[in-house]
Amino acid sequence: MLKTLLDAFALISTWEVIIAMFAASVYGLVIGSLPGLSATMATALLVPVTFYLSPIAAIATIVAASSMAIFSGDIPGALLRIPGTPASAAYADEAYAMTRKGQAELALGAGVWFSAVGGIAGVLSLMILAPPLAEIALSFSTFEYFWLALLGLMCATLVARSSPVKAIAGMFIGLLVSCIGIENPGGVPRFTFGITDLFGGIEPIPALVGVFAVAQVMRAMLTPEPPPLPRRKFGSIMAGQWRLTKLYHWQMTRGNIVGIIIGVLPGAGADMAAWVSYAMSKRFSKEPEKFGTGHVEGLVEAGASNNASIASGWVPSLLFGIPGDTIAAIAIGVLYMKGLNPGPTLFTEKASSMYAIYLMFIIANILMIPLGIAMIRVAAYILLAPRSTVMPIIMLCCAVGSFAIGNNMFGVVTVAAFGVIGYVMEANGYPVAAMVLGIVMGTMVEQAFVTSLIKSDGSILPFFERPVAAILAAMAIGALLWPVMVWIWRKVKPAQAVAATTR
Amino acid sequence: MRLPDSVTGSFLVVLGAAAAYGGYILPPVPGQPVGPNVFPLVIGMGLALCGLAIVFGIGHSFEEEEELVPLEDGQAAAPPPQGKLYGLRALLPPALLLFYVLAADRLGFIITAAIIVYVTSTALGAKWKLALPLAALSPFAIHLIFGKLLRVPLPAGLLPTPW
Repeated sequence: MLKTLLDAFALISTWEVIIAMFAASVYGLVIGSLPGLSATMATALLVPVTFYLSPIAAIATIVAASSMAIFSGDIPGALLRIPGTPASAAYADEAYAMTRKGQAELALGAGVWFSAVGGIAGVLSLMILAPPLAEIALSFSTFEYFWLALLGLMCATLVARSSPVKAIAGMFIGLLVSCIGIENPGGVPRFTFGITDLFGGIEPIPALVGVFAVAQVMRAMLTPEPPPLPRRKFGSIMAGQWRLTKLYHWQMTRGNIVGIIIGVLPGAGADMAAWVSYAMSKRFSKEPEKFGTGHVEGLVEAGASNNASIASGWVPSLLFGIPGDTIAAIAIGVLYMKGLNPGPTLFTEKASSMYAIYLMFIIANILMIPLGIAMIRVAAYILLAPRSTVMPIIMLCCAVGSFAIGNNMFGVVTVAAFGVIGYVMEANGYPVAAMVLGIVMGTMVEQAFVTSLIKSDGSILPFFERPVAAILAAMAIGALLWPVMVWIWRKVKPAQAVAATTR
Repeated sequence: MRLPDSVTGSFLVVLGAAAAYGGYILPPVPGQPVGPNVFPLVIGMGLALCGLAIVFGIGHSFEEEEELVPLEDGQAAAPPPQGKLYGLRALLPPALLLFYVLAADRLGFIITAAIIVYVTSTALGAKWKLALPLAALSPFAIHLIFGKLLRVPLPAGLLPTPW
């Protein structure tokens, strides 16, 4: 244990890791603070850079950039009422109301402080939850993996803030994309239409860059430019945060716990965590009437929640290769590339790397406090950069980055195609996160499904025979039937109401 | 690009049916009941079912309409000028990426990238005073990071970089 910890320290105390982490932090802070550029996009554009780094440095950049970007999205939210990332959207109104009351420092300070606290709570959950779960997961067979994957996919559709039917459709589209190529049980070219480039299948990373970066540039083409940030002098940013921590320690803890739970659920990430926690905070507050008028309570809870979900999103990713959120989906791609294939054995065979990940999360969240304060002070200058200078650079990064993934122009075509797909889906209410989950998990789902079918020799019984498999199956089927039941219930209820009034 | 649910749903029905059929005609693995054909078959049927459900408006009640955030005290952002072709502007970024695929090898990275930056920047409302220097400088910066530092083999084409 101690030796592993020392090994982990040795792994992260190289110049490469330190520089990578610092640079990625600054990068994450800048991207997160620019409205329209999300944390997922920041992470996706980092991937080509990670190819050229050592495994630990590569993960360091993702950990640092994603944590920073989630906090940094609070800055334009509080100062302009435009959330920098979707994860800050839940409480941008509240933070802006505080700024108008002259409490910008308190709002932004709460953003930094409770983000850092939330992040560290998330890491603790990762450290505590992952090893025992790995222990259980070691005994999993393909049946359990099949149900687990199905449950993961269903979760993503349940929590989507959209029609569950459309979310399931999005998931199926993602699974269909993963069918392309010759990497299937028969090794035959499937859905390749004779195009050689498609034989290798659709790489998840260019698809993600397309869905999250190109689609965003496409949306920017049709939306008006956000207004520039008024320059202002800030007082002490951390003043009063300790008092808030003591006053709202219960809200903070609840935010952390909700964030951790939502992070672990596949497909639901920081934005969902913030929405749920903000709503909970309002629901259980002693003074709910103050919400919306610039009350810090909701900020505390939601800020603690969205950053907690970032680290806990890595739990299912590291254990099963099932992404806890879209950022973790990208991280999984990088993990595979770096030879750290997700799975329960990761915690025994590569224990020092796992400890290194925990340590990096803790360092990133501590680093967030000084860097975040500096960022708040210079934000006015960074937000001066008009969209017409940022978006072209993003375009170039998309083109070069997707080319670099395989040194192949087909990557650029993939990015362009998925930009269009992501844009059209988003515009019509199909959640892209569900599709992303399908693409990332498709191969695994199919392998588990087909191997299980071959093992069971056509019988369906073995899918339910093992105790863990039976439990997972019950949960997955329940999740599948849930929207149907809600729909029926909604249909029946008005009928009953009508019957009651006519009686 | 907001299409009626009946259109997107019907598209999904067709896509799902095509996928299921495409899976069905795949050759099975000899001597094995399940092969590469099962998974697309299942997914295709699922997708088609979802498409049908969407056409009939099932689950529509769960959708939340996206609310526009007014900029300042309820005064909404000025609606952008709406022409017939305005919506097509969204297709510019993917079109530029395809342009990169076709032109980069012949023109080289620097020139292609400069064109992409200039067009994107202008489309987003930049004046030439901003767009031109940006187009002249940013390709070199990107080339420095990706080409020189990360050793991505970017095409030299007509205008090789000085390093």
